[in-house]
Amino acid sequence: MEKTEVRERVKLVVAKVLKMDVSEVSDNANFIFDLGADSMQSLELVAGFEEEFGLEMDEDKALRVQTVEDAVQFIAGYLG
Amino acid sequence: MITRAQIHQQNLNKIFYPDSVAIVGANKVVGTVPCDILMNILKADFNGIVFPVSPKEKFIAGVKAYKYVVDIQDEVDLAILVFPSSVCHMALEQCGQKGIKSAIIISAGFKEVGEAGAVLENQLKEIAVRYDMSFIGPNYLGVINTDPRSKINASFARRMPDEGSIAFLSQSGALCTAVLDYAYAKHIGFSKFISFGNKADISEIDLLYYLKDDPKTKVILIYLEEVTDGLALMKAAREIIAESHKPILVLKAGRTSAGASAAASHTGSLAGSDEICDAAFRQAGIIRCDNIEEMFNKAIAFAYQPIPKNNRVVIITNAGGPGVLTTDAVVKQGLQLAKFSDETTAILKKNLPKTANTHNPVDIIGDARADRYNIAMSAAFKDDNVDGVFVILTPQSMTDIDLIAREVAKVSSHYDKPVFTSFMGEADVSVGVDVLQRNKIPQYFLPESMAVAFSTVYNFSQIANHRAFEPIDLERTARERANRILDSAIGTGQKYLTEDEATQILNIYGLPVVESALAQSAGEAASLAVRLGFPSVMKVMSKDVVHKFDIGGVVLNIQSEQEALNAYEKILRDVRQKLPFIKIDGILVRKMIPTGEEVILGAKRDASFGSVVMFVVWAGFLLKYSRMSHSEFPQSTNRRRNP
Repeated sequence: MEKTEVRERVKLVVAKVLKMDVSEVSDNANFIFDLGADSMQSLELVAGFEEEFGLEMDEDKALRVQTVEDAVQFIAGYLG
Repeated sequence: MITRAQIHQQNLNKIFYPDSVAIVGANKVVGTVPCDILMNILKADFNGIVFPVSPKEKFIAGVKAYKYVVDIQDEVDLAILVFPSSVCHMALEQCGQKGIKSAIIISAGFKEVGEAGAVLENQLKEIAVRYDMSFIGPNYLGVINTDPRSKINASFARRMPDEGSIAFLSQSGALCTAVLDYAYAKHIGFSKFISFGNKADISEIDLLYYLKDDPKTKVILIYLEEVTDGLALMKAAREIIAESHKPILVLKAGRTSAGASAAASHTGSLAGSDEICDAAFRQAGIIRCDNIEEMFNKAIAFAYQPIPKNNRVVIITNAGGPGVLTTDAVVKQGLQLAKFSDETTAILKKNLPKTANTHNPVDIIGDARADRYNIAMSAAFKDDNVDGVFVILTPQSMTDIDLIAREVAKVSSHYDKPVFTSFMGEADVSVGVDVLQRNKIPQYFLPESMAVAFSTVYNFSQIANHRAFEPIDLERTARERANRILDSAIGTGQKYLTEDEATQILNIYGLPVVESALAQSAGEAASLAVRLGFPSVMKVMSKDVVHKFDIGGVVLNIQSEQEALNAYEKILRDVRQKLPFIKIDGILVRKMIPTGEEVILGAKRDASFGSVVMFVVWAGFLLKYSRMSHSEFPQSTNRRRNP
């Protein structure tokens, strides 16, 4: 899967979980600092990514991912 | 160059008296820290502007919110960071860019959670240094300033305390909320209420210096779990006491080794030896308390009442037993029972019942009402031989508790002398206790506590007035001479000093030692013994021998010149027989002194207080650090017996 596609799908998940328009989710946005995610939403984001990409991720490592771009790289790593 | 400590003093004023505050990371979820802090500020009637900063909210509690702190057009004096620890550095960086100089960082998840958290905490410090900012925290409850000029409750405590003259600093945020609740029930007010958490930037030392010049603060209380810079704390305490005469009361956790390890896991601190801490506090004039109740018992005595001019007290009671208990406590605390003037005695005799005891303690009898308390208190306050009044009440059927409490408040307000009360009991006296507490009359459940509190205030006033805590500086030349002996010993690879060398060092520092000299021959030893006086003692001196007695290296009770000659030869013979190859430096000759108290001097490097000196009265096997001091500032007096 191309990274561009991963990025678009990550943004869609983020927008859905954080209840915002996808246009508000920039590539370098920090989930907490820029988008206002709380701790529960951080867990929901991990679950959302797993569902979207059909993955089972290491939760501790996944929760350390803080930005959209980091999430793209992290998920791309799983997708090989 | 301006130091961080100086920058903190400039910036602290904006923490307590900001004209505008940004709550960075605010949300509208009631019951969460970010939301409750915003609500507390709004509810406390803060005299300034509030800017919520929230990544996704447009308004919170009807107040316009900003996505980033840099979006705020107006000037911001104080930033309150409530973001999770992982992004606090981003928020603080923006605060720096915005030109905000003061911040408080409430968030947890830093040094106290381990190495990863410590890295984040260091990032905050670097940012603060780069922008000349100062912050309190992280990992804490917040700050409260009750001064009507500001009225800011930047904390997630449940309530804003009453205005008062006690400042409370705490390393534990949760303890703060318990203290606030305790104090609220007793109508104890605060000037400033500060939890300082991990003290990554602004420390308790900075806060102490700020409070020294705070006109709203009369008494400073601190709860500490660790003393990271003991010498700085001692220096600050000395300066504050000398310059402002404000007492500093400390509740220091970690008295036991279990407590110390609990403190370490709580704040990531390393507790030092508690006995060193105890001695250091005493030396600096800090009043150490064992628990919250003791701390407030003493704090209200300082905060509510005038300082007594002397220590002569009067006990006025409607109950004999408590009067006796209090008398015992007065004597035990080193106070004096005041002796009334003839005029006072005459007034009391004339106006009190014949069954009353008109001498101190004044027993106005169990059926006393407010009028009798008035007579006794007024007479006592007017008497020049009285420096303070203790009022005791037990609730009998006819005791008008409420009126008596009001009478205490009314009468004492006319005099510049302290009054302390003990309305004994719980349920029935509560109405009077409430009146007393509202009128700032120190009230104690136990009558003995009045004496303890009074003596604490009196003793502190004596010490503060006479600057008894000034350190004694050592002469440079003495240090140089002592260092020469130490350097020489180190140079020759010695692991310890010989008795002769140790004695010389004690002598250099002015400590009294018994005169002695080193002899190189039997004749010289005998001459020295004659000169120094009999009975005398001889000891082998060798860098290779520690336990001289075990190898026959000591002869005691030498009574004559001939015995001295014999002793010299005997020592050499016995030592050579046991240790034939050691180098003997000579035989030390000393006058033998009568049996007395044995003391031990020692030294240690303490993690919190640096070089400390141990002075111990030897009591068989118990060792205590009974006095401490930095190596440059030893105290020359005081000692304590071991229990």
